[in-house]
Amino acid sequence: MEKYLYIALFAPLVSSLFSALFTATPKKTFTGIIASLLIFSAFVSSSILLTHILGGGEPIHVEMMTWMATGDLYIPFGFVVDEISVTMMMVVTLVSTVVHIYSIGYMDHDKGFNRFFSYLSAFVFSMMILVMSDNYAGLFIGWEGVGLCSWLLIGFWFHKESATWAANEAFIMNRIADLGMLVGLFLIYWNTGTLQYEGSFAAFAHLDTTTLSWIGIFLFIGAMGKSAQFPLHTWLADAMEGPTPVSALIHAATMVTAGVYLVVRSNELYSLIPHVGLFIASLGAFVAIFAASMALVNRDMKRVIAYSTLSQLGYMFAAAGLGAYWVALFHLMAHAFFKALLFLGAGNVMHAMHDELDPFKMGGLKKVMKWTYIMMTFASVALAGLFPLAGFFSKDTILEAAFAEHHFVIYSVLLFTAGLTAFYSFRLTALIFEGEERYKLFGIHPHEAYKYMLVAMSPLLILAIIAGAFRTTFFGMVEEILGAMEYHIHSHVTLWIMTIGTQVFVILAIMYAYKKYNNAKITVPDGTSAMENSFMYKLLLNQYYIPYAYEKYIVVPYREMSEVFWTHVDLKIVDASVDGIAGIIYNTGDRTSAMQSGNLSTMLKWMVAGLLGMLSLAVVFGLAVRYSDEILAILSGLGV
Amino acid sequence: MVDHILSILIFFPVVAALFGVIVHKDSIRAYGIAVSVIEFALSLWLWFAFDGQSSGMQFMESIPLIPAFGINYTLGVDGISVFIIILSTFVTLIGIASLGEIKNLKNMIITLLVLQMTMSGVFAALDAIIFYVFWELSLVPMLYIIGAWGGPLRIYASIKFFLYTFAGSLVMLVGMLFMAYFYNQATGEWSFAILDWYRLILPENLQLWLFVAFFLGFAIKVPMFPFHTWLPYAHGQAPTIGSVILAAILLKMGTYAFIRFSLPLFPDASVFFMYPIAVIAIIMVIYTAMVAYGQKDIKQVIAYSSISHMGIIIIGTFALNVEGISGSVFLMLGHGVVAGALFFLVGVIYDRRHTKIMSEFGGLAHSMPRYATIFGVMMMASVGMPLTINFVGEFLSLLGFFKQSQILTLLAGVGIIVGAIYMLTAYKKLFFGEITNEENRNLPDINKRELVALIPLTFLAIWLGVYPKPVLDPINTSVESIVQLMHDKAQTAEAKRRIPSPLSQMTIPVSSIEEAH
Repeated sequence: MEKYLYIALFAPLVSSLFSALFTATPKKTFTGIIASLLIFSAFVSSSILLTHILGGGEPIHVEMMTWMATGDLYIPFGFVVDEISVTMMMVVTLVSTVVHIYSIGYMDHDKGFNRFFSYLSAFVFSMMILVMSDNYAGLFIGWEGVGLCSWLLIGFWFHKESATWAANEAFIMNRIADLGMLVGLFLIYWNTGTLQYEGSFAAFAHLDTTTLSWIGIFLFIGAMGKSAQFPLHTWLADAMEGPTPVSALIHAATMVTAGVYLVVRSNELYSLIPHVGLFIASLGAFVAIFAASMALVNRDMKRVIAYSTLSQLGYMFAAAGLGAYWVALFHLMAHAFFKALLFLGAGNVMHAMHDELDPFKMGGLKKVMKWTYIMMTFASVALAGLFPLAGFFSKDTILEAAFAEHHFVIYSVLLFTAGLTAFYSFRLTALIFEGEERYKLFGIHPHEAYKYMLVAMSPLLILAIIAGAFRTTFFGMVEEILGAMEYHIHSHVTLWIMTIGTQVFVILAIMYAYKKYNNAKITVPDGTSAMENSFMYKLLLNQYYIPYAYEKYIVVPYREMSEVFWTHVDLKIVDASVDGIAGIIYNTGDRTSAMQSGNLSTMLKWMVAGLLGMLSLAVVFGLAVRYSDEILAILSGLGV
Repeated sequence: MVDHILSILIFFPVVAALFGVIVHKDSIRAYGIAVSVIEFALSLWLWFAFDGQSSGMQFMESIPLIPAFGINYTLGVDGISVFIIILSTFVTLIGIASLGEIKNLKNMIITLLVLQMTMSGVFAALDAIIFYVFWELSLVPMLYIIGAWGGPLRIYASIKFFLYTFAGSLVMLVGMLFMAYFYNQATGEWSFAILDWYRLILPENLQLWLFVAFFLGFAIKVPMFPFHTWLPYAHGQAPTIGSVILAAILLKMGTYAFIRFSLPLFPDASVFFMYPIAVIAIIMVIYTAMVAYGQKDIKQVIAYSSISHMGIIIIGTFALNVEGISGSVFLMLGHGVVAGALFFLVGVIYDRRHTKIMSEFGGLAHSMPRYATIFGVMMMASVGMPLTINFVGEFLSLLGFFKQSQILTLLAGVGIIVGAIYMLTAYKKLFFGEITNEENRNLPDINKRELVALIPLTFLAIWLGVYPKPVLDPINTSVESIVQLMHDKAQTAEAKRRIPSPLSQMTIPVSSIEEAH
């Protein structure tokens, strides 16, 4: 079995290095094909490992070699395949395989075709390290690795100012969170003596709650960066500057869920500190509704989906924070399938519309893009959480968990957000696919994507529909490791009312969205309508003015302070005083050098002056010594 | 021969430099490369013969110079110095091999060989006077390199560099003389041997004064805030090769000296000054990183980033435990490789465009993709990406200091954020966007001569990041013995507590936690 572990881990690395060989040459389709095959082999290996784990096999644990060892610190390159990591491996490799194949078509005309595959596979490799490592340091390698690949891929079209800006923003914002994570690691090491999951989990039970809380908080700060939780969320929407397959893989299905994975992986820690868990859940619920509200009005197709991702991450954190780790992980999995599908569909639309992102300029695309239409609709239904699609099972369980744990505020927020989710999802599909063909005004001739791209997407479609069926199997698998339990609402009637009520609420939201946006009167907004001038609309469209605030109160002051530090502090204070001291010494020498000009009469004059000075000093001191008693008496008389 | 390998390492280059005077100027390049290859091979042999399991000094040699005052020519290396010596021969080799067409090439190569002598000497010396002699001698070739091959402000920069560091060293010399005097008072004999001094336990107030005297010399060399302002001038004016060696090796003399002198000689004073120095180091990390962000000249960005990284090295050194000190030694090597490579990289565009102002560039990734790739790798190493060389050192340094103070470590950790800010911004300005300046459109990509320097450095930066063990193990062994020595010598209860004994702490502290409950 170890063999498969190594294949799953290193096939993406090989793929990345292979594609990297051709970065300097023009597009070669075979790099894409070979990369896809290698990623597919990682998927196959992961599946074999999954069947092994499902069949009741022992978790596989290998230690490849030492990484760092000094003092008492010992960090190996160790990898573990257990119930949690195998779930993540399946999600990562499956979505990556689909995205790799899809990208062959999507990046067809791009100059950086080979480079793209190199980065994409490097990302998969980092992600595999992240989820497979058996210690926090190894997780941190993957953590930073995916950050690097995300930087490379967001800024893939590096000639675009907005893309490189977004890439840097993402990297730096993640770095802020990484510092928190690093401090969490330090705390773990100095309190438990190890960074291995096994050893530190065992030691957590003996630590006091304060220490544990700090560890939990700092690790979660790390998670907040990668999973773009408030207030570090702004980078995710800007990250949509990257190519769409990247958004599907990194900024929807895998990397952004790393934070959730971290919390789930550290469940033994978080179950000891439920108060921190409650904070996580509350923040998650807040982010869910906060992000969903921004998705309501946005006019950028990809940004809407990005906010939706943010909102769903909020759901996952809400579940994980409440101790329902398995539900969080299950929603993570289901979400990966339908959200990646949604993004890839959006990619098809973008291609058809020549990179137009405003859904108001589309409309009626279902006639020309039948399959994309079907896929995106199913993905949206799954996202909205309608029975019997995947989202229903995962999202409904989160609601049940919140209800069963008696956190009714969180429950209501999440329930209301489910309605918002349904509304913005179908606002988007209605605007893109239904109604008048507004794109004709802009002279665009849309076309459906390549066949094989659609075929590549089909596994995601199937999973988005049927993933709910795995719920029982999944529960059985992770039951032990995550301390999972079914949430039982005491009365059956309550349960039925809740479930049906939610479904009706969601269906109403969908119908409202369709009624509002599937009609012939929709035109491209020009900023004159009453709604567009309302305060709420502007607030939401400008993302609550948070990016402006960051720019104005953090970025600009930082830049100005740096300038001041350089031009004023460093040059005018620190350096000027050094030069000042040197100048004093130099000038003293310069001015007094006349004394030793070699002119005999000048030198004699100075000699006499010096002699006189010395003599008078001698006289003064002599007198002072002789009359010291009197002088003291006089001084004391003066009251000194 | 292996018994005298250190003497050979020191004097072979200078003898070769003397012969270099009579070599014809057409063959001087080949001569220089040959000499530095031999020197590098000798240093590799040193590594091969070095016993990584042994914590003591190895390859010791001793010749009496002034027996009346106990001044001997004593050499020896341990796991800390051996790798810095290898790094110095390596950097000299690739530096000479990649030298471009400059005026007076012959003089440059001779100067570099003399500089190599002083570098090997400083790190191999085990006698304070010998150490001091090489320490000061190293200023001369560098003065010459900056003053003769530098930019428009070269005279100002080189004199500032020389006088500033020289002034600090004189205070250090007074400290050394006093140490020997005290040794004489305590034992009745004269000795300048560092290993003899190690055995001496000084009263605490004396330690404080001597610590300050040594500190001035070292701090200016490192350079620590607020003594750092000579460095941007020196880097700004120095030719590429000068900046590379300055950043990669010469700055390490200061941090190395802290570990060789300050910590083991004055353990109580080290504990006493730990917080003030940590605060200075944090100012170095954050303040200079912000200054770096404000720069317009790419070389100044790297120069200030060097100071910022030296701050982390100081933090690691004053962690006073094995994790932190090992990390700081490793980061010295890491910074040597990465900062060296970054200065090489800046040299590459300077050779092509004769400007270092970032606004002159933009979109270089279009015209020079290979250059952009190597620069990108080195940038990521500089910001401490895991699996690159700098991460190991930074992680361990910060981890070590976390034991001493959690808040200060958090502040020092801000370095990973501000570091990313100035590096990514600079990279974006140079490489991303459209080509706006027509002169950049047809710049030739990196050539073979430049690759000679950059490929090995890139390889090192990744190899030692993925597999630091071959280097980290010997460092660890030597650092353990130093920390043990400090622990044994410490007199105050505070110092005993702050400096844990590595030998007694072999067990994982989980058991102690259980006992506590």
